[in-house]
Amino acid sequence: MTGSQAPTSTVVRCHVNGRDVEMLVPVRLTVAELLRDRLGLTGTKVSCEMQVCGVCTVLVDGNPVSSCATLACDLDGTEVLTVEGLARGRDLHPVQEAFMSANALQCGFCTPGFIMMAVGLLDTHPDADQADIREWMDGNLCRCTGYEPIETAVTVAASGLAAATAEAGR
Amino acid sequence: MAVLPELGLVRSADLDEALAAVGYDHAPYAGGTELVPAMGLGLRRPVAIVDLKRVEALKGIEVDAEGGTVTIGAAVTHRRLSDHPDVQEHLPTLAAAASRVGNARVRSTGTVGGNLCFAEPRSDLGCVLLALGATAEVRSAGGARFLRIDELIVGAFETSLTENEILVSVTVPFEPPGMSYWKLQSYERPTLGVALVVTAEQWEVTVGAATERPTRAVLAAGDTAGLADFVDGLELSDDMTGPPDYKRSVLRAHLERALGTTR
Repeated sequence: MTGSQAPTSTVVRCHVNGRDVEMLVPVRLTVAELLRDRLGLTGTKVSCEMQVCGVCTVLVDGNPVSSCATLACDLDGTEVLTVEGLARGRDLHPVQEAFMSANALQCGFCTPGFIMMAVGLLDTHPDADQADIREWMDGNLCRCTGYEPIETAVTVAASGLAAATAEAGR
Repeated sequence: MAVLPELGLVRSADLDEALAAVGYDHAPYAGGTELVPAMGLGLRRPVAIVDLKRVEALKGIEVDAEGGTVTIGAAVTHRRLSDHPDVQEHLPTLAAAASRVGNARVRSTGTVGGNLCFAEPRSDLGCVLLALGATAEVRSAGGARFLRIDELIVGAFETSLTENEILVSVTVPFEPPGMSYWKLQSYERPTLGVALVVTAEQWEVTVGAATERPTRAVLAAGDTAGLADFVDGLELSDDMTGPPDYKRSVLRAHLERALGTTR
């Protein structure tokens, strides 16, 4: 096969925050570019572009991924959740509430990434302990260096969600 | 944002199609955790990527109970590897190491094959798989080759794969008793990794991350002189995580503690 035969764009069909998306995208397009530039979802930030800082985190089929280092063509057939998809109307997601109540943000640039990592963790590991929380959040950077309130927020959200799950199971 | 240059996409339905498509400017592509940033930095400029994620033959995790091995497809992600009950049962040290590769995002998309074929020295899996005596199956349209991990990885960012070959799987013998893996890590990649298989008769020591490729020594238990020669003879890297002397001191201290040879 020669290079000229390989198509340089492809159709992607997926759900973004529950909404149907069908688009012809260039193969070189990253998920972050699709979300920010084509869908106007600028809550997802971009910084290091090396999978290190975590500000670009979104969930794809429930798994956290770096949207800056993932190609949009890989979204075909997936469910994508960004920070814009968390709140229900004016009701914030419990993780967002916990970040507010714990003052877990300063400049706020890293916050969407931390929140999506926390949602990804607690959705799959509702019983996450401090070691799990630290290991997951260790993959994100906050240059205001307010890490303790972030850990507190995720811990608070974890216990809140555990309590809600227990209540629902009663 | 760095904008990637125009890129073609080949989606292979099976291994034969993928083998026909890969080549010098047609890069095998799975998780993209290394390739996409490398393209962003202009270090790799493939004409097209050959997406291996839909090739079922690369995605299996299969136990051979009689042979006592687990065969892991090259496109298995770190998360699937670490969460798989058969891997947790038969290869617990590998499962634990995979559960701590990079960060939670890298583990979502990054694959065993990508980790080995990128051959970044600061890797956990290469060290643990060499210690376990894993065999890599490498295929081209012409046939298969079976390689030890230190025959697959031949240097820093260097493998013995030719441009028309794909790593298909690694076959890993069940973990022996007395195995451990320990790493020193302060950034997103390990600074030093040490896999040990310690029995009453033998010390098997595999050192990774600080060496160009994982390096293994098999010594009689109690052979402290042989161990010292091995440690002193390792060529250790000099980078932002520390000079070779520092890494050698940490390695000596860990081995003394783990092998009970504290002076």
